Amino acid sequence: MSEHKSVIVDLEETEKTNINEFGEQASAEAAGVVSVNNVSERCRIWNVRVLVPEGREGTNIEEEALSAGEVDAGGKWETGYSIAVDAPIVTFTEVYDTNGDMETEEAHWAYVMNKDNPVKITLTIKNETAGQLDNIILNKTIPPELTNIIIESAKSGTAEFDEGTRQVVWKDLVIYPNEDSVLVIKANGRADSTEVANAGEIVITYRGEDQQRSSLKPDMSALTEYLTGIETAETEPNEWECILECSNESDIMVRLDKAEVYLIPEDGGEKEKKIEESPRFEMIPSQEWSAKFEVSSKSPPKCTQEVTYTPMNTVTRRVLGTINKVAQPIPVAHVEYTKEFDPPEVNSFDKTPVEINIELKNAGTAKFNDIKIVDNLPDDVMPPKTEHISALIRGEEFTGDFEVVVDPDDQNPEVPHTITFHLKNLKDSVGELEPGDSVKINYAIMAWRNRPEKEYPSPIQCYANTYPEGITADSISESDTHKIGIMYKKRRISAKKAINKGSGAGEYSILLVVENKGEVTVENVKVIDWIPAGFSYIITDPAEEEPAVSATSDGSNMAWAWTRMNPGDQKKLRVTVRGEGEYERREPEVTTE
Amino acid sequence: MTYYGHSTFRLEAGDVSLLINPGIRNNEPIIPNDHDVRVIAVTNHADDALGNATEIAVNSKAWILGNEATIQKASAQGGKSWLLHTLRPEVPYEIPGMKVTPYSLQRLNPESGGRYENLGLHIEIGKMKIAYLGDTVVRGPFGQLETDILITPVGGNDVFEVKDATSLCIDAQPRLTIPMKWTAPEQPQKFSKYIEQFGRGTIPLVLQSGQIVEIEWAAGNEFRYTVN
Repeated sequence: MSEHKSVIVDLEETEKTNINEFGEQASAEAAGVVSVNNVSERCRIWNVRVLVPEGREGTNIEEEALSAGEVDAGGKWETGYSIAVDAPIVTFTEVYDTNGDMETEEAHWAYVMNKDNPVKITLTIKNETAGQLDNIILNKTIPPELTNIIIESAKSGTAEFDEGTRQVVWKDLVIYPNEDSVLVIKANGRADSTEVANAGEIVITYRGEDQQRSSLKPDMSALTEYLTGIETAETEPNEWECILECSNESDIMVRLDKAEVYLIPEDGGEKEKKIEESPRFEMIPSQEWSAKFEVSSKSPPKCTQEVTYTPMNTVTRRVLGTINKVAQPIPVAHVEYTKEFDPPEVNSFDKTPVEINIELKNAGTAKFNDIKIVDNLPDDVMPPKTEHISALIRGEEFTGDFEVVVDPDDQNPEVPHTITFHLKNLKDSVGELEPGDSVKINYAIMAWRNRPEKEYPSPIQCYANTYPEGITADSISESDTHKIGIMYKKRRISAKKAINKGSGAGEYSILLVVENKGEVTVENVKVIDWIPAGFSYIITDPAEEEPAVSATSDGSNMAWAWTRMNPGDQKKLRVTVRGEGEYERREPEVTTE
Repeated sequence: MTYYGHSTFRLEAGDVSLLINPGIRNNEPIIPNDHDVRVIAVTNHADDALGNATEIAVNSKAWILGNEATIQKASAQGGKSWLLHTLRPEVPYEIPGMKVTPYSLQRLNPESGGRYENLGLHIEIGKMKIAYLGDTVVRGPFGQLETDILITPVGGNDVFEVKDATSLCIDAQPRLTIPMKWTAPEQPQKFSKYIEQFGRGTIPLVLQSGQIVEIEWAAGNEFRYTVN
C-alpha cells in the first residue's frame, strides 16, 4: 500500500435488532451511509461519481453511479441508503433459569414466592459472519429480586457487576468468525409478592470492521489537479519526436487509466492513433508519466490526446450494531388453599359422614402443571374409597391423570390415614392451571365414635409445580390445625335397683332399671349386680335378658352386656334369687364406652 | 316391593300384601281408594302417613295397623272398628306369612318443636326381614335388629337427615338399604354415596316412584334383587 493518501470511500452500515420478552426477534433493520472523504490537504476533487454497478439488490440505490459533484480538500460528501435484512450479523440468546441447580431441557421460568430461587443466567452472543467481531459491549440490568450476583464464567472478555447501577457489563470480548461467547451469571432470586417480576433489559452494541450488510462494491471516479501535454521536437530534418507527458499535480494518489494520442495528417484525412495505452499507472504526487512516438512531417505534427485518470480511492467499511432485548417477564408461583368440613362438627360417640372440601387456588402469576395435595386424617375417622373422590378444575370434573393414594390402604377407623391427591401433566389434558383458577377436591369421611376429650387435627399440605418441574410452591398447614369439631353430647346412664320380697320363702325379687338418659348413644354397656353369699340366681324376666352368673369370694355376680343403648333406651330386669340370710344391698356397677 | 314415592311402599309375598303409609301429598292421595291390599300399616297419625288408609281399608276390607293415636284418627275418619288394630311397642302382629313388630320411635313436629310417636316396623315377610323406620328422628333398636332390607327416611326436618340414616345403616348392616322421603334430589344420592363407601357390604338402592323391586333368597341363601 502506498504511503501516499487516497480518497476514502466509506461504507458505514448500522443494524438495529429488537428481541421481544420471549427471546424472539421482533424486528431487524439496517441502513447505510456511503461517503467520499477527500483527504487531500490542498486539492479539490470534482466530477466525483460513486460507482455501484453491482450489489445494489436489497438497497434503495437505483442508479449505477451516484453523483457527488465536487469535494473540497478535507471535505466530505455522503448519502444514505436503506438495506433490507432478515437477521443481524450477531445473534443473541438469554436463558434465564429460575432454578439453575436443576438441569432440564427447558429453562424454569417462574420464581416461587418466599423461597430462594437459584437463578442462572446464560447469555450467548454468536458471530454469524465470516469476519471477526470486536468492540462488543453487553449491558444487562439486574432486577431487584436478585442478590448474591456472581459472574460464574465468561468465555471471553471481562464481565463485572456494578452494585450501584445494578448492571452487569460484559466487554472486551472478541468473537471469531462463526463462533460464540458465553457469559454465565448466578444469583439468588426471591420474590415477596405475586406480582410478575422481570429478568432485566439487555443492550448489546458491537462493531464489525470490514463487514457490511449490503452487497455494494463501490468505486469512485473523479478529477483533480493533473497536468497533461504533448511535446513535439525535431530530431532530424522533418523527423519529429512526440512525447505525451502526464503529471500528478495533486497531493493524493492518482491512477492513469488510459492514454491515447492521435496524429492529424498534414494533408488531412483520418487521424491516426499513435499512442494507445491503459497503464493503470498509480502516480504519487508530482510523479510523471510519459509516452512517445516518432513521425516524419514537414511541419510540426499536430496531435490530439485523450487521457483518463482518476484520484485513487480506498474503500473502508464497517457494521455498527445494536441489540435491544426486552426484559423477560418472570411470573411468581404461589398457592393458597381452603379446607372445610361439612358439617364442621359432629356428635361425640356417633358415626357421622363428613364432607371434606379442599380448594387449592393458584394465587400467583405462574401456571401450574402438577398439583399434589396431601391430606392427613386422624384416627377415629374412616377414610373414603378412592372411587368416590372427585377433583374439579374450572367447574368440570378432572378426567386426566389423577392418582389417589390412601395410606394405609384400608378403611380402618382406628388408625390415622394419609390421602394423597396427585393431578399430573395438566398441560396435556385440561391445560395448565391458570392464575386465579383452582382445583377442588371433594370426598367424604365417616367420623367414627369420636371422643369429646380428644382432638382430631387434620393438617394438609398443598404443592404445585410448573412445567418443567422446579422448586415446588407449597402451602402447608400447622400440624395441629383443621380440627374436626366434636360436639360434646353428655352420656348419662342411670341404674336403679329395688329389692323386694318374693313370693316364696327366702325368695327375693331384684328390680334393675338401666336407662340411657344422656344425649348420645352409648355402646358396650355392661351392668354387674352382686348376689350375696347364701343366695342363688333363679330366673330373669324377660327371659332373653338372662345374665352371666359367676362366683365371687363373697357371693356371685350377675352380668349383662348390651352392645348399644340409644338415648331414652331403658332396660327393666326383674331377677329372682333364693337363699337364706340377710340380703345385703350393693349398688349395681355400670360401665360403657 | 313397590315404591310409590314419599314414604309409601307396598310389600307382597305370596298371598300377603302390606301397604305402608299410603299418605297424602299436596292434598292428593298417593294410593287410589280402590287399591286392593290385605293389611295397611301406618307409622304415625300425620296425614302424610295415614292418608286415605281408611277409605282403602273399607274398600278392600284390609286391616289398618297403627299406634293408638293413629287408630283413633282412623276410627274418627269412619274406619270400621273390626278392621282397626292398635299396635303396642314390641308386641308383634302376626298373620300367616307376615309378622310385624313395632318399636316406638319419634317424629318431630316442626311447628311446635315437640315430638310425637312414630312406629318403626320390623317386618318379616317372604323370608325377608325388613326394617321400615317410618317418619323418625330416632333409631330405637333398629341398629341391632337383624335386617335384610332397611328403609329409612333421609329428608331432614321432621325425620332423619342423611347423616342419621347413614349412621343407622352402618350399625344395622342390612344387605340392601332404600332411602325414602327426601326433600331434595341430592339427598338420596349422597346417602347412596356414603353407603357405598362406608356401608361395609350394604347396597344402597334409590328407587323412583312406581318402581318395583323383586327380592328373593335364590337357592335358599343367596340374596338377590331385581328392579324393573
